[in-house]
Formats: sequence, structure tokens, C-alpha cells
Amino acid sequence: MKSADLQKMSFLAKLALCAWAVAGLIAQANAWGFSYGDQSGNNQACLSCHGKTGEVPKGTFIDPQRFTQTAHANLGCEACHATVPANHPDGNKVPRADCRECHSGISEEYAKGLHASKTACNGCHNPHLVQNPKDVSGQEINMICSNCHNSLEMTAKHGEWLPQSELHLRMLPCITCHTGAKDYYISMYIVKSKGDSRYGKQEVAEYADLKAMAGGRPIVSLIDTNRDNYVSLEELRVFNRTQASLHLHGMMTPSTVSHKFEILDSRRNCSFCHTSGSGPMQTSFIAVPEADGSFLRVPVEKGAVLDALYAAPDFYMMGSTKNGKLNQIGLAIICCGLIMPVGHGFVRFLTRKNRKQKEHQS
Amino acid sequence: MSEKTRIYLQPWPIRIWHWINASGIIILILSGAQIRFPETLSIFTSYKSAIEVHNTAGIIVSISFSFWFFYYKMVKNTLDKLYIPDEEDIKHGLVRQLLYYCFWYFLGRPSPYHATPDHKFNPMQKSAYLAVMFVLMPLVGLTGILLLNVTPLRVLILMWGGIKFIVALHFLLACSLLAFLCTHVYLATLGDYIKPMLIGWEEVEEHAEAEAPTEVAIPGYRPVRHYPEYEQELLEQRHS
Repeated sequence: MKSADLQKMSFLAKLALCAWAVAGLIAQANAWGFSYGDQSGNNQACLSCHGKTGEVPKGTFIDPQRFTQTAHANLGCEACHATVPANHPDGNKVPRADCRECHSGISEEYAKGLHASKTACNGCHNPHLVQNPKDVSGQEINMICSNCHNSLEMTAKHGEWLPQSELHLRMLPCITCHTGAKDYYISMYIVKSKGDSRYGKQEVAEYADLKAMAGGRPIVSLIDTNRDNYVSLEELRVFNRTQASLHLHGMMTPSTVSHKFEILDSRRNCSFCHTSGSGPMQTSFIAVPEADGSFLRVPVEKGAVLDALYAAPDFYMMGSTKNGKLNQIGLAIICCGLIMPVGHGFVRFLTRKNRKQKEHQS
Repeated sequence: MSEKTRIYLQPWPIRIWHWINASGIIILILSGAQIRFPETLSIFTSYKSAIEVHNTAGIIVSISFSFWFFYYKMVKNTLDKLYIPDEEDIKHGLVRQLLYYCFWYFLGRPSPYHATPDHKFNPMQKSAYLAVMFVLMPLVGLTGILLLNVTPLRVLILMWGGIKFIVALHFLLACSLLAFLCTHVYLATLGDYIKPMLIGWEEVEEHAEAEAPTEVAIPGYRPVRHYPEYEQELLEQRHS
């Protein structure tokens, strides 16, 4: 090939490249109008409309405060809504990603489960509010389940085989039993009694209430007084003594959640949870509500759940949360009861001749 | 020669109550132990069956306890007399009975107490039963009822100091009952106490015999407590 031809081709290639770049820029300029191009999570343009209740239809409202805390927000709107048309809003639905594109493993697992024929991912998860299970309270998880499963019916159904079914269903997120989780920990939520009465109905304390109680300091300082992001038994003791209307409500939560939601026979065996000394049962956290609706988990000194007097006063799980010191006191009491039979019986044996003689004499 | 007299010491309702209570408490102790130590004990096969057995036995014992109270308080009206130590019991009876158990029994001397239907228990028994029947049993029963109904009785549980406190109390009370049970069963072997609890009748020697002066006078030792009203009754029975 001649050098003149080469120069000609090179020029044409540069021209084509420029044309493609200009076309790209024009396309991008159209897209910028909806701000889904900046994948660093600059979702402001979308949220400028979708973050306001009055601006968009109810179903498309996205709570900006909660959305920005989700993992999905970090990906940016574009990651899921890649091909928003230039003339948006044009009345047509915006295309959205299939969850399987990113969560293929979970989707496959979910497809094998009982729920797959009933609902898709968005039946339980709002993609604009998704949070890690550890950031959601057990009550909130159960609220999702109760959208389809009537809680009264469920209590009755579980009561066919589960002793104290109402108590179990209140103290456990459904996913604790209905997933293949292997490890668990105890999450202690701060609950507040209605009307500040100790005996009123207890509900997970809200961020605003706790913030007011903390007097401008972070909520965690209500318990973690030295702010080392770790709750010692002493701090727990002080909290339980000083807070009249606040209580700690323990819940057993799985550390990992599988998505088959199957009915596991192993979970019907009470010893699965109710055995003492199992490691995960002794790991506990205080779940402190955050402004965005999630929970900050603060680790608690090991053995807090086992502490008979100062840990969550309303949390006790037979067997697993038994207290070692109480066992020792109980054993000492039983031993005291044995002193009389053993001691007296021994002397009785040694002095048996005395009684025989007396009987003989009489 | 000593003459034997038969006394109807334990009426049939009390005998039935006693054995229901005894078997119920033993079942409660065994199932309770499995509930607390599920990883080491498997007496009632599964944990669930241990809970069901424990709950059922607990309800039966609670009902039988209420029956006992009703029978003695309302029907026989002898509850206070039987279970509350009187002045004489506190002043002398307790020490005398303690001396008997600790020394005189080993020397082969007779018990300083003689049971009658209205005074079935010696001062030490009275004091122990007072604690067991009026404090331990009601408390263990009440804490058990609370634990059986955690959701509906939540307010009561909170008033008592929370579920953890109640579980701890229930456990320690149960240990105390077990401690008492050991002593109770052992002391029953010291005399002829099991037979009356089975058939109701106890054979006792005549008071005159028991009142015979002891060979060695021990300070404070008074052989048998007298119940003139009962002796009169016995005499009348014998003559009729």
C-alpha cells in the first residue's frame, strides 16, 4: 500500500472517530438531562423529581434519605435504569434491570423455593430501600412477611406443633427458621413502652425519640457511655438501672440469609436453638436506630445474654441462655439438702447397734 | 408390755393428694432438668416432649396443691393448727426435736413427739412444711404459671422484675424443693411414716409406755407431748 493511501485511510479513520465521539457527546448531552450518567451515585437529577412526593406518581416516589444509604444508590440509577429515553417523562414506563443480572446466585436459589411461584424479588424487597439484614429490625422483617402471611393464621398454624407459638413468632424474625442459616446472634433492640409506662405495649424506639433522650449526643451514648463502640456488662447494667421507659428486647437473628425460605425439619427440633452454650447464642449486639432507618450494631461483651440480672430483662431462651452462676447456686442448695440424709444416715449406720439394743430391751 | 393403738392419721383425700403431688414433683424435677440441660439430659426423648410433660405436670401439681389448701382450710379447717407452729413448738419443741434428730435418735430413744390427726407434724416438720407449703410451693407454682403464659401475663412478669428474674427464681425455688425432697424422703425412713401415707392408719404405742421415765435424764427432755383432748377421744372410742 502506498503511503498516500495510508494517510488517506488514517484521515478517514480519524474523521470516523471524531464523528462517533460527537454523536456520543450529543447522546450523552440528552442523557444528562436525567442525570443517570454519573455512576458515582450522583442521582440528584432523578431524585430532584422522584424524591418529592408531589412531583411524581405515588408508586415512583423514592425516599432520598433512605435510598442514599442503600448499596443500590452507590451503583447509581443508571445501573438499573440504563435506557431511560431522552424524552422522559413521556408517560411510558422506564425500563428497569432484572435482579438476576446482578443477583444470579440468589435468583437461582429463590427459584427452587416455595415463594418463587407466588412472587418475584420485588414482592418482598423494594430495590430503593434494600438493606442488609443486620440493618433491619426483626419486626420490620416480619412486617414484610405479614404482607402475605396473616399473623393470626400463622400463630395458629405454628401452634399445631410449636409450644408457645405466639411467643416464638413475636421473638423471632420468620427468616430465623425459614432459611438455611447456620449461625445466629442475638440482636437487642431498644424498645420504648407506650405512654412511658413500664407496662405499656413495647415498640422499637424511634430515632427521633432516642435522639431527644440522648440530648444531642449520638444515641449510642445512652448505652455506650465511654463511646468506645463496645458495650461492656457494666454499661449494660447502668443502662438497665437508669432507663425506666426503655428496655432491651432481644431477638435471635440469622447471620446469613438464604433465599429458599423452606420449611426446615431441623428447625422443628427444639434443641436446634434451645441448647446451652452454643457459640452464636452468646454473641450479642445492641441495634441502635440510625437517622436513615437502618441500625448501627454495637457489639456487647460476651455473655451478656447469659447475665441473669443486667442483660435484656425480657429476653430469655430456655437452655441456651441459662446462667452458669445460677447453676452453681442451685447445685449448692441441692447439696445442702443432701447434708442431712448423708450425714445423718452415716451416723445412723454407725450407731445401729444402740437402736437394736433398745428394741431388744423393750 | 406396750399396747398398740391404731390412729387414722391420713384421710384418703390427703393420701391421694400426697402421691399425686409426689409423682408430679418428681416428673417436674426430671423434665425441668432436661429443659435446663438439654444437651446432657434426654429423659423424655425430645426437648419438646420434656416441655409438654413439664407443663402438664405443673398444671396437675398446681391443681392438686389448690385442692390440698381447700381441703385443709375449708373442709377440715385444721390448716393453721397443722402447719403453723404454736408458742410451745417454738419455745421448746423445735430444740427438743432437733436434739432428738441429732443425738437421741442415735442413742435409741423414742421420738419426743407423738402424732395425732390434728397434730400430725412435730415442730420441725411444722416449720419446714410451713416454708415449703406456704412459700416455696406457691412461689414455684406462680412463677411456673407466669412462664407458661409469657405473652398474656407480660405485665405481671414485668412487675415481678422481668422474665430473666422469674426464670432464675423458678429454678432456685425448684432446687430448694429438691433439697427439701431429699431430707423429706430420708426422714420418712426414720420411723414408720410411709405406711400411714399409704393406708391411712398408724400403729402407736400407748402414752403410758412412752411416758416412762428415761434412764438418763437429759436436761430439757420431755418425752412425749400430751394432747388431753385427744386422749379423751381415744378413751371414749375404746370404751364404746
